[in-house]
Amino acid sequence: MPPALTLSPATTLCGSTHGEALDPITVEVIRNKLDGIANEMQTTLVRSSFSPFVKEGLDASASLFTVSGQTLAQATAIPLHLATMIPMVERFIATFPPAEMAEGDIYAMNDPYLGGTHLPDIYLVAPVFYDGTLVALATAITHHQDVGGMSAGSLPTHATEIFQEGLRLPPLKLRDRGRMNETLLAILKLNVRTPDLLMGDLNAQIAACTIGARRLCALAETYGAHDLAAVFDTLLDRSELLTRQSLAALPRGTFPYVDYLDNDGVDLERRVKIAVAVTIDDAGLTCDFSASDPQVRGPFNSVPSGALAAGCFAIRALADPTIPTNGGCFRPLKVIVKRGTLFDPVPPAPVNARTATIKRATGCILGALREAAPGAFPADGSHSTITLAMGGRRSDGTRYVTGQALVGGTGAHSAGDGIDALETDVGNVMNQPVEALEADAPIHVVERRLRIDSGGPGKFRGGLGISTAYTLLDGELTLTHRGERHNSQARGYAGGGAGAPTNSLIVRADGTREVIPSKIVTTMHAGDTLLIETPGGAGYGDPHERDRDRLREDIENGRVSEGAATAAYGPIET
Amino acid sequence: MSIEIGVDTGGTFTDLVCRAPGQPPRILKVPSTPSEPSEAILEALAHARREWGIDAADVTRFIHGTTVATNAVLERKGARVGLLATKGFGDVLDIGRQFRKEMYAVKMVSQVPGFLAPGARRREVPERIDAAGTVLVPLDEDAVRAAVTDLVENKGVAAIAVAYLFSFLNPTHEARTREIALELYPHLAVSLSHEVNPAFREYERTLATAFDAYVKPTLDTYLSRLDAGLKAASVPASLQVMQSRGGVASAAVARLRPIRLFLSGPAAGVVGGRIAGESAAQQDLITVDIGGTSSDIALISRGKPMLRPEGLVDGYPVRVSMVDVNAIGAGGGSIAWLDGAGGLRVGPHSAGSEPGPACYGRGGRNATVTDASIVLGYLNPAYFAGGRLSLQPELSHEVIAREIATPLGLGIEEAALGIHRVVNAQMAEGIRAVSVNQGLDARSFALVPLGGAGAVHATALAEELSIRRIVVPRHPGVLAAAGLLSAPVEHEASSGMQRRLDAFGLAELEAALAALDAECEALMRLEGVDLSRRVVSYFADLCFVGQSHHLEVPLAMDGPDPLGALYEAFLSVHDRVFGHAERQPAMLTALRVVHQVWPEADTPPADTPPDAEAFKGTRTVVLPGAGKVDARLYERERLAVGTAIEGPAIIEQADTTTVIGLGWHASVLAGGTLLLTRAENA
Repeated sequence: MPPALTLSPATTLCGSTHGEALDPITVEVIRNKLDGIANEMQTTLVRSSFSPFVKEGLDASASLFTVSGQTLAQATAIPLHLATMIPMVERFIATFPPAEMAEGDIYAMNDPYLGGTHLPDIYLVAPVFYDGTLVALATAITHHQDVGGMSAGSLPTHATEIFQEGLRLPPLKLRDRGRMNETLLAILKLNVRTPDLLMGDLNAQIAACTIGARRLCALAETYGAHDLAAVFDTLLDRSELLTRQSLAALPRGTFPYVDYLDNDGVDLERRVKIAVAVTIDDAGLTCDFSASDPQVRGPFNSVPSGALAAGCFAIRALADPTIPTNGGCFRPLKVIVKRGTLFDPVPPAPVNARTATIKRATGCILGALREAAPGAFPADGSHSTITLAMGGRRSDGTRYVTGQALVGGTGAHSAGDGIDALETDVGNVMNQPVEALEADAPIHVVERRLRIDSGGPGKFRGGLGISTAYTLLDGELTLTHRGERHNSQARGYAGGGAGAPTNSLIVRADGTREVIPSKIVTTMHAGDTLLIETPGGAGYGDPHERDRDRLREDIENGRVSEGAATAAYGPIET
Repeated sequence: MSIEIGVDTGGTFTDLVCRAPGQPPRILKVPSTPSEPSEAILEALAHARREWGIDAADVTRFIHGTTVATNAVLERKGARVGLLATKGFGDVLDIGRQFRKEMYAVKMVSQVPGFLAPGARRREVPERIDAAGTVLVPLDEDAVRAAVTDLVENKGVAAIAVAYLFSFLNPTHEARTREIALELYPHLAVSLSHEVNPAFREYERTLATAFDAYVKPTLDTYLSRLDAGLKAASVPASLQVMQSRGGVASAAVARLRPIRLFLSGPAAGVVGGRIAGESAAQQDLITVDIGGTSSDIALISRGKPMLRPEGLVDGYPVRVSMVDVNAIGAGGGSIAWLDGAGGLRVGPHSAGSEPGPACYGRGGRNATVTDASIVLGYLNPAYFAGGRLSLQPELSHEVIAREIATPLGLGIEEAALGIHRVVNAQMAEGIRAVSVNQGLDARSFALVPLGGAGAVHATALAEELSIRRIVVPRHPGVLAAAGLLSAPVEHEASSGMQRRLDAFGLAELEAALAALDAECEALMRLEGVDLSRRVVSYFADLCFVGQSHHLEVPLAMDGPDPLGALYEAFLSVHDRVFGHAERQPAMLTALRVVHQVWPEADTPPADTPPDAEAFKGTRTVVLPGAGKVDARLYERERLAVGTAIEGPAIIEQADTTTVIGLGWHASVLAGGTLLLTRAENA
């Protein structure tokens, strides 16, 4: 086995064949149009999708790629999706070389070990032709409601191999020169629990790619396919140059950072190490995850594109936000993962819960970068989502399925406090309103409040987590609780304190208390109450230096208790 | 004599339009007085009386479009608000939906308006209603008394927002809370969530209620001061205000629900755009109001302004229905700059009005879109904003040469044209996004350019969008004020619910609508309008079971099966907006009743007399795709009806300049509206 795999999206098209000087105005006009096209694809994707996942959670993304597989423009969507499209497109190009691509083709795949990330995410790629010339690739990814496997929703937290996670698709032609692959569709429909939803969402993906293709053709008609390719090269080169200029402002060196997942969902007693060494040098930014733990039995493994997604997020976060996002931004990035570890598992290791791993890996890169440039990056945030899957049965026999995605506080930074309960890094899903949950399920929400004293103290305070409690009113319910940060806190910086860890507890109807060890599958009965406190973000700077007016404000507004204030911040009056 | 006056307050100018039977409308502009906007309004009125010899006693309608509500939010100058919430849920405003707008941000900023009622001004009240509307915990009235007293006495709050869980299903606790609050403090402003925004999702409802409370005292003070000023000026008409949906209401009613006033000004502009479109027999319109720092885009389909169920105020989602006006961050003041890789970028930073574009001569050192317009020959430096501002074109040339042309190795005109091409591409993408979101194809619409700079960009923008018709209103700079006079008096009432449509009976529907009808009728009676001319329309908010974002669907009660027809109408709207519609069960989330009384049909304005030659000579301009050409130059107010003009041409008037590109044909219609059309093969 090779010791380490180096991933780099930097398949630079060296020595552009388009020698002529490009009109800088046309380049900028086309750039604005490409952003517009990507966002129009995204609108089409979300609006014409059918499953609640996409419509309510916005779990779908659209993007444009060059024919050489570099990101050309991204919609405003989910960073994790957008970055994992890069190796996925490379794989499609390897399987269906441009010379073999034909007008009317659409390719599909979902297998993590061949370029995907987890099975519910199905990727579609459509080659865009103008006048017989391949101009670009339009892509759309959707988290589908179900792709088969051992549990409804295809996210089994107790899976120990990928075969339990659903149907695996290698790169295939979903549409061949305009003709749908009915064989593939028949297999798909037979292997998933909700075939209508799957077909509806696949059609939405096709619609998004079609819109992208139509508008790219209009661009090619105006500017010519050849000039368009030259403009794409210029745009990528510019973003690369601008990103390198941003990187040049950072000190050279190697900066390590380590954090731990609570456990892998199967071996509950063993925490899982995520270790990164971030090197900033003339070549750019290198994120080496080789020192992370070996692959785990549970589904928290992440195929290499996950580490790449963490790196893509970091390089975009550290560079000037006005830089147009495209593959040029990612050229200075190199990500190293080691075979047999958490970030490059050997099949058939399960991978469905990889989001938790990728979110924390992103937090680790940001933690390392903070050592390099303390002013530019915040103290640790929670970088975790507490995910609850609830499948219940009322006493009248009717069933329901629902879920919750709860987040914690963000890290404080050199110029401000962390933010309470906010999605960060590679994820961006919405929470569910109390009034929606109670209407859907016999669950009574007892409270949903900010969690006082959970933000790490500091000159700038970490953002707060939330306290929430659910009582089951009727029947029974299978609860899958996928926690994080129960055993590892967000670390403070420059004298700032850690954010509070997650606490989860079930109080049974008879008063018995059961502490939840981060991940658990259990049954709740009517009268049982689930209490969850999500983690706080960490503080930045010495708490004794906190502005006393802001401290008093925190006390008045219920973010910090007087007792905790005295203990952590020193005398309130100065 | 019956005189109608519309006054629209903008950031820079306050516009007044005065209409008397059988006469063309008269307009005037005075500088706005942001610290107390009513001063400029009363000054404009005084001016109109002086200049035009108007007798205040003849003013039968006085209608106002205001930005006071929005400014109170933008400047954080609203009231101190206290918030009462269900026990356990006091922090709804801070928790929000946990979603962030900037994908790659790491130094996070708050995404929620916690400033409306910070923790110290929130109180939890023991009470609880469940998802069926059943009371689980009765209202603790003593706790309400203690909380209100504490908030008023110790926290100095001037307004109370009350947002209890599921109050939209059972309003008794909120209603009782108001009674208690008013027993204690009869003059306290109280906003109840089931009245402000009767719909599910506690964050969005609480946010809307807190915003309503936040601006209520401000609007109260402002509108009563303006009303008193009008009375003092002997105006007998009672003050009316434009609301966000595009209808007007008496100030006395409007101030009860100020959250409906956030888009008061822009809604008037959209109504004005509709009137202009009608004068050119166009019913499908896209209005583009190009201002200094941003541009507002709105759609009018089949003569009706498109509405949206939720809009953004200072970036926060305010869930009340309003005209679908979308702001994009590109305007005349947008700054052109070069990034570190030599790329030409325009915006999002703007020179605003201070210092403004370089040509204003107020120290602006950045190249703006307006400076580019000067270099391209579109604007007449001596005739900008009606001659109030004398521009210094040499400063535009200097700044574009220095900042853009020289570093890029381009000619100065080439650079200026580049700035226009880039900003036009941005605006075109903005327009396309708005139409895609409504499921409409921009190509079949006519463009209505508004604001001082709209008509400068119109033909270039239309070409970007494959639009072939442009309607330039006679007075695009004061269209909002004109729109005020043409809008209906409108009242709306709604009730929220969570009911499957197939389990909803006709009798129940009729009873619910009758209650809402009675509510609207009571409000209409306060307007003093002729109730026999009332137009009543019904709407329902629907989604598929399992979805949570609804669509507003017209509800026709005159057919044999109103509920069946409603379902079909829902499928058709869903198909238009989302691109599909399966015959699945639908959920009814709200019923809405709208009562309107439209103004008497406008008397057609007298045609402009061709008392003098409109042609003023030629000017060299630079046009996209044509380069340097001689454009014929016209004075708008002297153009006779029926005049035909071929591009390239420039038409100047006090409040805007119309640039007519190559391949465009202009004709002057009755009332002075310009219709620009492009040959099919151009």
